[in-house]
Amino acid sequence: MKDYAGVVLAAPVSFGYARQSPRGANWFIGCTLAEMLRQAGLAKDDVDGLAVSSFSLGADSAITLTQHFQMSPRWIDQLPYGGAAGLVALRRAARAVQAGDAEIVACIGGDGAAHRAFEGTAANFSNFTIDASFPYGAGGPNTAFALITRHYMERFGATREDFARVALDQRYNANHYPPALLGHKTLSLEQYLGARPIAGPLHLFDCVMPCAGGEGFLMMSEDRARHLGLPYCHILAAGELHNAHRDDPVQFRGGWTEYADALYQAAALGPEDIDLLQTYDDYPVISMLQMEDLGFCAKGEGPAFVRDTDLRFDGSGQQARKLPHNTSGGQLSVGQAGSAAGYMGIVESIRQLTGRAPHNPVSGARHAMVSGFGMINYDRGLCSAAAILGSAQQ
Amino acid sequence: MSKRQTMRQRLKLNRPSRRRLARPPRQRTPVGMDFTAANLPVALSLQHCSACGAAQYPPREVCGDCLCPTLVWREAETGGTLLAGVDLHHSLWEFFKRRIAQAPWPVASVRLDCGVTVFAHLALHTFSALPAKDAASLPADTRVAVFSHSDASRNAVLIAVSADTPIAERGQRRAIAQQLELTSPAEKPEGI
Ligand SMILES: [Zn+2]
Repeated sequence: MKDYAGVVLAAPVSFGYARQSPRGANWFIGCTLAEMLRQAGLAKDDVDGLAVSSFSLGADSAITLTQHFQMSPRWIDQLPYGGAAGLVALRRAARAVQAGDAEIVACIGGDGAAHRAFEGTAANFSNFTIDASFPYGAGGPNTAFALITRHYMERFGATREDFARVALDQRYNANHYPPALLGHKTLSLEQYLGARPIAGPLHLFDCVMPCAGGEGFLMMSEDRARHLGLPYCHILAAGELHNAHRDDPVQFRGGWTEYADALYQAAALGPEDIDLLQTYDDYPVISMLQMEDLGFCAKGEGPAFVRDTDLRFDGSGQQARKLPHNTSGGQLSVGQAGSAAGYMGIVESIRQLTGRAPHNPVSGARHAMVSGFGMINYDRGLCSAAAILGSAQQ
Repeated sequence: MSKRQTMRQRLKLNRPSRRRLARPPRQRTPVGMDFTAANLPVALSLQHCSACGAAQYPPREVCGDCLCPTLVWREAETGGTLLAGVDLHHSLWEFFKRRIAQAPWPVASVRLDCGVTVFAHLALHTFSALPAKDAASLPADTRVAVFSHSDASRNAVLIAVSADTPIAERGQRRAIAQQLELTSPAEKPEGI
């Protein structure tokens, strides 16, 4: 596979997180784009590529947005891949810039949070979901993940205390990331364990809070970024694989198992060289699957790994082994802004690797692993993607 | 009252939570409607591939194994193995919200012997040996039977029972569906 030399990521923006909003997806995507342009000192027409992900565009799409925003891109893509959308956008946009199909690509995930919008998305998610999962209690993805979590707990002996390790350290990180919607509240083990039940082993703090917001970044050549004087980071490796392990009766691993080694090889790094890890944390068990499948520990050792690892951004936890994880608080503590959630880990990693995380900095961060997981169709998540990003000061 | 306010008032009153009767989700895809039609006369009917014979679920347009375009509805064996069972304490849908207000709603994923995975409402009362009547006390690999029955929206839905539950007769199956309160709408007497 061809490498990602010569292209870089810049202008990370997280915009407008809110529990509910009368504004639509167009507003969040447009405002995120405006903020990216402001940060980069670019004019709208300097952007000649546009990649967009959203669940709530309604009748609109990436192409109708070009008229709304009065842009004339020569490269366009729409990536409806939920938690993997940002990484898939990153891979597509990087190739477009390498090939010369576009010079600067804006990659944006954004969604509104209108009253009862989440219910509509869940009820109409896909044909399989309409016929075979939504009629069974209408819990949305909670039902599928309650079953997956239950299975994981029985098979590998994970406990709710283990899942708490992920949620609590992320809340600590969110306490140091001002935009996090739950960042003003602390979370104790007692609160976590005593939370009201949602579905099977899942309780309130295992589930993300749907919200509105936007996340975006720019992809361009390294020369261009240098010329613009923009802080940037590199893509050392990236991969994706979808509907992997399709014969597993219950999901307990994702496509990462099939390309994690290749990623480390391409980056000439190992898991021990990763300074921060951003997993897609729609539920704590999914973060554990990613830690296992990306080689941080063996399959089934996720519970022991999080027990023995300090996941805080500043290494202030008691455990000797440190792995800053979901350093802005992840979706569990920031909120899940629809498709923006699939961009969150990339945007936060760019901030960290370019020294632009003033409140929650991972000191000396050089290598970030970002992982995405998405599209809970019927009984499992279908998309997997991951990338290793590197700071410009290698 | 202005026209706009009247409309707002109507929308507010028209919320599912305000209605007297709430029913399970009615929406199905065209093949989902075929599933209901095929399941009316039998305990369980699934699509089977006319070329390779593979059973299919969820309902679909082409064979998931060999992509053969012709799938036929055929009676299927009801036996299967529990993958996981959970109690739902939260729902996005008013019918289940009202049911859950009374007691958690148990559902399960089941691997049928014919090789497909189904979600089903879980009839915990048929598991006589169960100490606590919650889905969490039902271990994986428990043998179960899965049959279909019409819910209060007149769609066929799947119900999982203990393997030794008699379900050969329609009346037996109806009694289980009724005991789950699946066949009647969830009523709110003061609703509109
Ligand atoms: Zn076939």
